[in-house]
Amino acid sequence: MNLFDSLSISGSALLAERQRSEVIAANMANAQTTHTEAGGPYRRREVVFETRGASSFRLALANNGEFHGPTPGSVRISDVVDDPSPALMRYEPGHPDANKEGYVAYPAINPTAEMVDLMDSVRAYQLNASAVAATKQMIQQAIGILKS
Amino acid sequence: MTTGPPMMSMLESYLKLSASREQAISANMANIDTPGYRTHDINLESEFNKVMSGALRSSEDGAEPVQLTPVFHLVQGLMERPDGNNVSLDHEGLMLAKTQLQYQLAIQLIQNHFHQTLSAINGGS
Repeated sequence: MNLFDSLSISGSALLAERQRSEVIAANMANAQTTHTEAGGPYRRREVVFETRGASSFRLALANNGEFHGPTPGSVRISDVVDDPSPALMRYEPGHPDANKEGYVAYPAINPTAEMVDLMDSVRAYQLNASAVAATKQMIQQAIGILKS
Repeated sequence: MTTGPPMMSMLESYLKLSASREQAISANMANIDTPGYRTHDINLESEFNKVMSGALRSSEDGAEPVQLTPVFHLVQGLMERPDGNNVSLDHEGLMLAKTQLQYQLAIQLIQNHFHQTLSAINGGS
């Protein structure tokens, strides 16, 4: 059924945006983390979005208008990558993570950029939530035919 | 009796097309942050005309009715962001509202059709 496919597409976006917010929250939480299990300061992370089954989008539609397999057009996070920008060096000779010259490597995290990213993510989440509401209403209207 | 393609099958095609369009809009909204994604859409009017003319022909000479195969095309003329994505939030929001209303219209017409039948069964009472 077409409308339920729309719901799963919007659902995939809700999931992806939620994961993105989690990554942004982790970035903000670790803005001052100088020590990680892998060694060195925390590295800022970024998500990479990817369309699933996009190449077969029109192919599947030419095929009798019915979809098979994963819903085309849905989105997912294909990768979480480290930001390669260099760490910020601050002169704090008393810090246990300071190097020989007394500099401590801090993660290159800009709280403003993270907040803007978070707002973008929240708005995209709201957009998809409203798409879910619209689809739900359409399904309810279709059910309403039976009730008349 | 009515001439031309039956009302109900026409409305059914219209509902299917609206649902397909709704799906394209959902996909566009879902991929608003996907780099390189292009906005998809279907032309509801031309697709519906295709179905209608096919149904009309089949009712005239008994040919096979055309299958409903909506063709998705890439929307031209939208502003492209630096990451190659051209999904416009306003455009999709507007299209979503429009498609929802079109779907509701078809649903209302179907309900109306059933009410008419029911009224005929009850002798107009």
